[in-house]
Amino acid sequence: METLIDFFTGTLGLGPTLALSLAYATAIGSLLGFITVYAMFAIWMERKVAAHIQQRFGPMEVGGWHGWAQSPADALKLMFKEDIIPSGANKVLFWIAPAIVFCGVLAGFIAIPFAAGVQIVDIDLGVFFIIAIASIEVIGVIMAGWSSNSKYSLFGAVREAAQVVSYELPSATALLAPILVVGSFKLGDFNTYQAEHGWIIFSNPFMWIALLVYFIASLAGCKRAPFDLPEAESELVSGFHTEYSGMRFSFFGLEEFVSMLLVSAITCTLFLGGYTLPFNFLDVANLAAPFHLLGVAVLIVKIFAVIFVQMWLRWTLPRMRVDQVMTMGYKYLLPWALFAVAGTAVWHVWMEG
Amino acid sequence: MNEQQLHDKLRATGLGGIGELESSARDPFVVVEASVLLEVMAFLRDDSETAMEMLHNVTAVQRETGFDVVYHLCSYSRHHSLTLKVIVAQPEGEAGDWEPAVPSVASVYPSANWHEREQWDLLGVRFNDHPDFRRIILPEEWIGHPLRKDYVYPSTFGEIPLELDAIPLYERDENDPPKPSEPRPAGTPLTQPPSEYSTRPDAGGRAPAPEKKGES
Amino acid sequence: MEALEMYTVDDRSDVYTEELKLNLGPQHPSTHGVLRVELSMDGEIITASRCDIGYLHRCAEKIGENVTYLQYTPYTDRMDYLASMNNNLAWSLTVEKLLGVEAPERAQWLRMICAELNRIASHLIAFGTYGIDIGANTPFFYAFRERESIMALLERPSGARMLYNYIQPGGLRRDVDENWVTDVLAFCDDFEKRWAEYNTLLSNNRIFIGRTANIGVIPQDVVYACGATGPVMRGSGIKWDLRRDVPYLKPYEEVDFDVPVGEGTHGTLGDCWDRYWVRMREMMESIRIIRQGCAALPGGEVMEKVMKKMYKTPLTPEAGEAYMRCENPRGELGFYVVAEGGTSPIRCRARAPSFCNLSLLDSLLPGTMIADAVAIIGSLDIVLGEVDR
Repeated sequence: METLIDFFTGTLGLGPTLALSLAYATAIGSLLGFITVYAMFAIWMERKVAAHIQQRFGPMEVGGWHGWAQSPADALKLMFKEDIIPSGANKVLFWIAPAIVFCGVLAGFIAIPFAAGVQIVDIDLGVFFIIAIASIEVIGVIMAGWSSNSKYSLFGAVREAAQVVSYELPSATALLAPILVVGSFKLGDFNTYQAEHGWIIFSNPFMWIALLVYFIASLAGCKRAPFDLPEAESELVSGFHTEYSGMRFSFFGLEEFVSMLLVSAITCTLFLGGYTLPFNFLDVANLAAPFHLLGVAVLIVKIFAVIFVQMWLRWTLPRMRVDQVMTMGYKYLLPWALFAVAGTAVWHVWMEG
Repeated sequence: MNEQQLHDKLRATGLGGIGELESSARDPFVVVEASVLLEVMAFLRDDSETAMEMLHNVTAVQRETGFDVVYHLCSYSRHHSLTLKVIVAQPEGEAGDWEPAVPSVASVYPSANWHEREQWDLLGVRFNDHPDFRRIILPEEWIGHPLRKDYVYPSTFGEIPLELDAIPLYERDENDPPKPSEPRPAGTPLTQPPSEYSTRPDAGGRAPAPEKKGES
Repeated sequence: MEALEMYTVDDRSDVYTEELKLNLGPQHPSTHGVLRVELSMDGEIITASRCDIGYLHRCAEKIGENVTYLQYTPYTDRMDYLASMNNNLAWSLTVEKLLGVEAPERAQWLRMICAELNRIASHLIAFGTYGIDIGANTPFFYAFRERESIMALLERPSGARMLYNYIQPGGLRRDVDENWVTDVLAFCDDFEKRWAEYNTLLSNNRIFIGRTANIGVIPQDVVYACGATGPVMRGSGIKWDLRRDVPYLKPYEEVDFDVPVGEGTHGTLGDCWDRYWVRMREMMESIRIIRQGCAALPGGEVMEKVMKKMYKTPLTPEAGEAYMRCENPRGELGFYVVAEGGTSPIRCRARAPSFCNLSLLDSLLPGTMIADAVAIIGSLDIVLGEVDR
């Protein structure tokens, strides 16, 4: 950010307020661009991964090489599709629900450090901020389900509310373990810590439990199988977005992939070393000016590894039932998360004290 | 046990109204009076030797002289089966929409529930004391019973024209749908038998219905 | 004033709740066609259900009264369209019983092999769609891969991939080609390996067992009372199979096979998992039957000479009636045909197994969750073409 502000004030000679606004606009614009490209790639990847798990090829025609242009083509098609609003729907809520859902997830990226210096704001309570702001999505989903005037949508929205709110507990608790190790909520500190001390996942054995709990809970948070109850297509037709069509519908699809990116980014930053390489054999963060951007590539590779596991699970496992999901969250994940936090605390007091 | 032994067993119960074992048809059957049907069914189900656990099928057959209601019973523990038949003769002077009635056996065999509803729906046979006597396949408002021999396919269902082919697409006026047929005056038959039914070439060889037996 | 009264319905709670009516179907991803179930919901829990069928009604029984016996064979294909061979077989056997003829020996063995192949294909659909009902999409594609081979095998003698019209009164429409038996055996070898994959993927999955065990338990007396047959009956532990107990084809007396029944492996006897597992094991029994059938396949004609002559004019059985039961993949299919000497029957009743199995549904659903309702409908494995006919 500072580099950008310097560029606008120094090189172009603009006033500080204008430069600040322009810098943020550029940063958020490039973030949006990145997310759009990522979402298209992730959708294509999901289809390819699913297809190969299911002994199919997936998209092969559009664009030539393995149907790479399928997602842009679909996006174009969705843009031109008619936006149908059911006659009984609450129009205002129906309109703004997809935007709220998408904004909630998008806002979380403000605090994600993609590489050294490539971060919009390094908030002091970064982890806390992401957990808090990503929960706004639930409000959007409830609005979508309620305003659709469809019973299936309502069921989906209520399931989403119950599930996401319940799984906030184990996921937030599990994240306390790495926070204890680093001693900071600031996401930037995690990268500097891991560059010095190695990945947090190797810092103590309890961290593996915390990672597993967080990964499972984040699956539920993103509504990915086996926790895709809010949009369980064999039970609720399509859940909360049953009545949506066209571009508004695609926002919900996009939101799913973007929230996958967000939770994978948190997993990588907090447990898997962020943008640092294993054992820090090449100190990416402290390379000369343009080369420190290599960190972005490192992080993206890690993120896609996590996303691949999410996809792999989705296309292998059946869906759980509502009561089983709740049982899992409260009876298994939450105690294990608390155990991991307590274990981490005891381990570090014992090892260091 | 074979059918003959089962029939002997039934006769030995002393219930009246059990006819002879009819073996002239391919599958032998026993004609039972409607009045003793429930007792016969309950006996066949509960007796340890007959042990007919399942009512496999309920069918109604329209003949020229009336209706047969056919019950296929099976025993899974004894590996035998028996066909029971209730014959309801059409009284003199009854119109085409006459509805025969037999007692429902759903209280003995719950599986009869849906079968009897289907026979009512398609053939218009009433089953008295049925727990849930509604049409099962056709809409509740449907008029007539399509499996009747004299049934004529209606041109409308309420406001909805059914024979769309009758009106060419380009002549169809969306604002002026075909009128529903005139309400039927009381006392007239539901539908007129189609003229082509009796003159159909392959209907000529149809033998007259067999004599009613076992109604003594 | 009305609103005030509304809130005093239940004095014990300050939240006013009411039952939610949910219309499951007729257009719904997991009702396997056009079934409609009216559910009364208390949150996620079903309090009452009412089945509504008839959306696919084509009055097949009326058609049967207006076409000749031979012309009706293709219509039986369309009843249980996933097991057309078995439907053809049941109809042909009924007509043969009415005529008093019997198919030649080779035709009988080939009928058995084809019917068993179709049974595997049908159970594969049941397996694949059940996976989708529970939320796992991948088993469906695995199942369709093997079903594809079966359809290719059955296409070679019959010329059709789904609605075969191959088994006809008196025998078979035509003989199989010379490599067919070898290819069927090759398929059997292949299938055994694939079958193990299915179990790894779905049958022994913890989530799958959690979703299906102890759900939709059907006690044995209810099975009898409601007329449920086939895997639904065997899933409740009743060891009954018409192929073994009342062999309707001669080869069934000669081949050796087991009748898998539910054992309550992961919960109560007669739950969804038991029914599912009966279907899975039946596929392997069918493979055993096919192997023995291929080994023992005799030579000769596939169509009775008498019948060939009879086909020159429409079949006219004497007055009489016949009821024939056959073990279809979904249960016992019964055809009841009443002839009065014409070229078409005066009554042609099909006792559809799905119809009887579905009548259980209303008693199974109350007290379960909406996700269980989907699991229960899937485990009954209905085909709406057969329910409505």
